[in-house]
Amino acid sequence: MLKLTASKKRLLFFILLGWVLLLVGDRVGELRQYQGSFVAMYSLAIASIILLTGYSGQLSLGHSALMAVGAYTGALSINSAHLNPVLALVLATLVAGLFGLILGFAVARFSGPYLAGTTLALAVSLPTLANQFPILGGEQGVVFDVGAPPARFGESFSQYKWFFWITCLVALIMIWMISNLLSSRYGRTFRSIRDNQTAASLAGLNAGSLKVVAFAVSAGVAGLAGGLLVMLISGVSPSAFPLSLSFSLLTGAVVTGVYSLKGVMLGGLVLVAIPEIADSITTRIGGSEGFTATLPGFLVSALLIAAVMFAPNGPGQIFRKSNKQDNHTEGNK
Amino acid sequence: MLKFITAILTSLATGSIYALMSTALVLVWRSTRVINFAQAGQAVLTTYIGYEVIVRSGSYWVGLIAAIISGAVIGAVIDRFFMRPIFKRVTTGPIVMIAPVVATLGLLGIVQAIIGFKWGLSYQTITAPVSTDGYRVFGSVIAFSPFNLMVLVSVTITMILLTILFQKTNIGLALRASAHSPEIAKLSGIKVDGVRTLGWALAGAAGGLAGMLFVPSSYLYPNAMDVLLVFGFIAAVIGGLDSLFGAVAGAMILGFAINFATTYISSKLVFPMAFIILILVLLIKPGGIFSAQKGRKD
Repeated sequence: MLKLTASKKRLLFFILLGWVLLLVGDRVGELRQYQGSFVAMYSLAIASIILLTGYSGQLSLGHSALMAVGAYTGALSINSAHLNPVLALVLATLVAGLFGLILGFAVARFSGPYLAGTTLALAVSLPTLANQFPILGGEQGVVFDVGAPPARFGESFSQYKWFFWITCLVALIMIWMISNLLSSRYGRTFRSIRDNQTAASLAGLNAGSLKVVAFAVSAGVAGLAGGLLVMLISGVSPSAFPLSLSFSLLTGAVVTGVYSLKGVMLGGLVLVAIPEIADSITTRIGGSEGFTATLPGFLVSALLIAAVMFAPNGPGQIFRKSNKQDNHTEGNK
Repeated sequence: MLKFITAILTSLATGSIYALMSTALVLVWRSTRVINFAQAGQAVLTTYIGYEVIVRSGSYWVGLIAAIISGAVIGAVIDRFFMRPIFKRVTTGPIVMIAPVVATLGLLGIVQAIIGFKWGLSYQTITAPVSTDGYRVFGSVIAFSPFNLMVLVSVTITMILLTILFQKTNIGLALRASAHSPEIAKLSGIKVDGVRTLGWALAGAAGGLAGMLFVPSSYLYPNAMDVLLVFGFIAAVIGGLDSLFGAVAGAMILGFAINFATTYISSKLVFPMAFIILILVLLIKPGGIFSAQKGRKD
């Protein structure tokens, strides 16, 4: 019996998960496939937050803006430059990452309130910029059409299943890569900076530039998730990336436990489930237009506060109360 | 020339609104070391309360007083029954660093949702107590109205009152001492927790005033103050986050930069200008222009 290393085990797990998803995708209806693609997309976006917040201790409220950067890049490279969708998604990742690198150079060196506030300013101001450049399409936005599924999959292969396949595949590959990154030397250095920056600096790590790297990588992943999001809603417009998207992602990350990548799918599920729950509540008890429109936001915020109050270090914390002291020192994953 | 004078006057008027928001943020930052992102929600909520009082009583001034008082009460309640338990509860794990900020974000969402439940998402208006038509100078109307003048005067009075409170009274001394060094303040017999709550109450009142002064020249809706929160934050960072004087000066710098850029270059420059200033300050003097200490790196 050959002995598996940790990284081989991880790869095997992701392949297995992909196989399970493939089987699941065949057996559920179109609505579930569509929702499943959103779960995958949100999971990827949450992974980018966890990479940033959980492993380098920075808090970003601007991931909706970074997703928008990726989304516009993807949409423009398909529409104006007529690139292959795969290439468009790669480009979305790279441009958002570059954007994150530039922004990160200015602010990611600071922790505390600076990064949070600056990224908040970004999230509020970037969508308004989109209205001012004709190439970005104003409020109408830009169409993002990934194309019909290849003919060789047969007639019965629906568009939603195609979405499901694409998002799941992209999310699996990226999250696998992130988890590899985080268990590598880089993951350890990120954690050391988060836990004790002075000690990390004394050990010869350049805390500032490592934080910038973490921010840039996280921005790239967010850009890719943004590209997937506009593929699912088949067009990009400023209103697709409100500030509340950043808050939702943060909620997803805190709910799954911001210091572990293990639960990202839970976060994605929660984000997809909340509008459904809100919808079923409003159809049951009715209520004014304001109530219907703000209930999802209320649930997200309430969940965020509940998570911070009762399980600040993730849902796992409740089950391992006994060894509470060491669950963060050994570092998850 | 007229354009120049108008730009100066409108800069002062908008800068003074930013100053109230940045002061509110700085007051909370000094007392609890948290950037209170819920400030936008609190300010809008108190403005809605002011709006209700105006509708019932018919007087803007009664509404203004109601907004300021309810702002203070809401601020104090949030600190006492929300922030303090969170600080007490969340003590282990690396989340300690971000938990308070995340909590204020959650609070912002809750407050805005509650406003949506109660008042809906439609736009309301508050009629200004004095004319909002621009003054006539040499036969042409400029973009500076008696209401703008009122804003400027009320903010100046507020700032003078705050300065007196901080510099000349025992309460102010307690506020400064707990901001500077909570441990030593506690040893000297200052009830640091109570002083913190007072800081939150003052910030809430400033936010309420900001809302009541801002909304008459705009609209009232749940997200009305989000942009002001961002500008207030940028102003506070320019001023160094720690000093009240810096917060006001930063707000004025921001007000002038934005208004001059929009008057002379392009009206689309509001956000880019603010963002560029923020990045420049963080790159060149991260501790804030008015902070004597070295750049804060943590």
